[in-house]
Amino acid sequence: MLKGEQIHFTYGAGTANEKHVLRNISFQIKEGDFIGLIGASGSGKTTLVKHMNGLLRATEGGLYFRKENVYGRKYPLSKLRKEVGLVFQYPEQQLFEKTVLKDVMYGPCNLGMTREEAEASAKESLCQVGIDGSYYHVSPLELSGGQKRSVAIAGVLAMNPSILILDEPAAGLDPYTKRQVFDLILNIQKRRNLAVVLVSHHMEDVAAYTNKVWVMHKGELVLQGNPMEVFSQTKRLKELNIGVPQITSVTEKLIEQGIHLERAAISVDDAEKMILQMWKRRIAR
Amino acid sequence: MIRDITIGQYYASESVVHRLDPRTKLFGVLVYIVILFCIRNPWWYLACFLLLLGAYRCAKVPFSYVLRGIRGISILLIFTFVFRMLCTPGEEIWKFYFLSVTWEGIQKAIRMTARIALMIVGASLLSYTTTPKSMADGLEKSLLFLEKVHVPIHDMSVIVMIAFRFIPIIIEELNTLMDAQAARGARFEEGNVFQKCRGVTTLLLPLFLSTVRRASDLAMAMEARGYTGERETSKMNPLVYSRCDRAAYLCIILVPVFYVVVEFVPKWIR
Amino acid sequence: MIKIKDLVHRYTIWENENKKSKKTVLDGISFDIPSGQFVAILGANGSGKSTLAKHLNVLLLPDEGTVWIDGKDTKDKEKLWKIRTEVGMVFQNPDNQIIGTSVEEDVAFGPENRNLPSQEIRGRVTKSLDAVGLQSKRKVSPSRLSGGQKQRVAIAGVLACMPKCLVLDEPTAMLDPKSREEVMKVVHELNQERGFTVVLITHHMDEAVGADQIYLMKEGHVVKCGSPKEIFCETELLRELKLDVPQVTELAYRLAEKGIPFKLPVLKEEDFVEQMKAVCQSEDIERGR
Repeated sequence: MLKGEQIHFTYGAGTANEKHVLRNISFQIKEGDFIGLIGASGSGKTTLVKHMNGLLRATEGGLYFRKENVYGRKYPLSKLRKEVGLVFQYPEQQLFEKTVLKDVMYGPCNLGMTREEAEASAKESLCQVGIDGSYYHVSPLELSGGQKRSVAIAGVLAMNPSILILDEPAAGLDPYTKRQVFDLILNIQKRRNLAVVLVSHHMEDVAAYTNKVWVMHKGELVLQGNPMEVFSQTKRLKELNIGVPQITSVTEKLIEQGIHLERAAISVDDAEKMILQMWKRRIAR
Repeated sequence: MIRDITIGQYYASESVVHRLDPRTKLFGVLVYIVILFCIRNPWWYLACFLLLLGAYRCAKVPFSYVLRGIRGISILLIFTFVFRMLCTPGEEIWKFYFLSVTWEGIQKAIRMTARIALMIVGASLLSYTTTPKSMADGLEKSLLFLEKVHVPIHDMSVIVMIAFRFIPIIIEELNTLMDAQAARGARFEEGNVFQKCRGVTTLLLPLFLSTVRRASDLAMAMEARGYTGERETSKMNPLVYSRCDRAAYLCIILVPVFYVVVEFVPKWIR
Repeated sequence: MIKIKDLVHRYTIWENENKKSKKTVLDGISFDIPSGQFVAILGANGSGKSTLAKHLNVLLLPDEGTVWIDGKDTKDKEKLWKIRTEVGMVFQNPDNQIIGTSVEEDVAFGPENRNLPSQEIRGRVTKSLDAVGLQSKRKVSPSRLSGGQKQRVAIAGVLACMPKCLVLDEPTAMLDPKSREEVMKVVHELNQERGFTVVLITHHMDEAVGADQIYLMKEGHVVKCGSPKEIFCETELLRELKLDVPQVTELAYRLAEKGIPFKLPVLKEEDFVEQMKAVCQSEDIERGR
């Protein structure tokens, strides 16, 4: 769906403060992908993500959406912005309208939908994020932190994007609410058949929810693969100063100590299964 | 990126001028500006410029920085020059339809433009060699006598310090907010006036709320560290005059004295 | 060091212009914190833990009950500034606690407010920056620091006031994993090597692993207290309180249920590996017989 070819991006190109932030990035996002984008702070994750919805324009390289050239002369950026929804960190800070419903309708109205269409889309999105009708005419400021965040996400969903990008959607939340938010995202992905890009620092969550992992380091995409492939490369990730899920680290250590496991695990369920199998084999001997 | 921009650019370097007490530098700039407004003879402007170059050299600030200040206001300078040149009545030199260039016009244009340019370059030297905090401290100490008439100088100085600290942060937050709303289709760059206005309204409330929240958090943190706003406070690096400052004050006072002597004494003698 | 008895705190909620109601955020809290201890207070958002923290520094006063800091009643107005010297507080948002335009200037803010002589202020700033490992960043502007570094500056700023106790209100909530580690390392060092009493408010269980005592809060009550080993066993209770256990703890618990003889709870990775090894070896020895 969305394809980037050898994208380079330099801040302040030509001035004294030039900073080459993205180097030679090529990627492909297909329907049904749930991509986890990980990397140390400052590796360029947010910058890359801003390219995907056209907020930033690459200084070199090409971006294609459904085979159309986004950087072509006649390509309207608003089209890309409709299709690629971007939810920033702490999105509840952007709520500004008098009522919840109006705020969620802001995006669709900007895209040119009629009031009725916008309202219908907004109501559907609010329902999908778990905000029921009693909150429609309430001021967004009266909601709890978690609810505000859901409303902000609904605001982007209401534009009916095909790709949804979320930058640290669980930042600052307690563990239970965090899991609720991720479950919600997974749910929405399945229902709407979206492609999702999740930028996160929490390796455990990335391992649990995504089906592809991209690793960024100093502006380059250094690793791409499914969670199993990427997280099992513990040494490489350590060199890049990127953590791995605790469970992966632990199972790696077990293997090093001579305990026969097939490979490092990426989730607690995974590890439980493997260790029990190993145990049964031992007992059966 | 935005966070690196401080108000007034500070050029970090080790020089006599950098080490001077900020009050000395503030005094110097004040005297300099007064002189600029007293000067009539255009040759003195050249003298001022040479003096400035000397000062920049002492401050170890590169010449390109002199030009930077001017570049920022170049349009204003050009406009002032052309306006003065064309709109001053007097002896005509050249006429183009209804636009006339007079000799007095040219003189006035040069004088005004030179005055503005020199003022900016001189004031820029102050900001290149003095950190915003130093300047605030210098102003505070100079104006402290006003506390006797209940002007809250110390509080104002704290406010200025907090402003310097938070303005870059708020600007960055504004940028993020703009990105977030743009991702929802708000228009800030393209579109007609109404659309742009509408775009701005989406920023006002969130920015206001977050700033108030910041202020509340900060107030709590300040109270937790013992700030009362009532008691006397000391300083880690109090401003103390050194020998260099005394020498600098002498130099600063000599400049107007020199000007008065050279410009007026011959007239009085006659 | 800190003694709390029957502490009650209520907030007023305005439902509309004319109608208001009171919400009880802290409902009769009582416990003691001896000097030098590392206490972790855990609970979900809304359990009242942040409100409790603010009472320790007299940012809030009790509606009922009493809080004593080193024998001083927080309601005593005369003792307010003394208490604020003894209990230093670090907040959640790294940016919103730093006032100075350079690191050393910010750390000097506390001592400057106490009108101390310049020489002493400089000494305290140096010592505090050493304690958090930021001496090399002394003249740097805070906007150029990472989240973890900013929180360390905040801690140094608090240390410069020479407190006896550090209260940290979710200090790592807005930080990435690397910054979190940095900050927690400094906090543990301050407790273990320099004897500070530490009260850590958090919802990250892995940060509570190294504590001496854990208090679990729910809706304004302390529902359980105990050592990490005692608390981490209560997986059901923790789940009910919307808290998560570290993955290794969860894994050990599940394996123990399926018959593998783990000694629960398992708190750390090294623990798990050691036990797994021991279990396999004893299994082999069993078979050997």
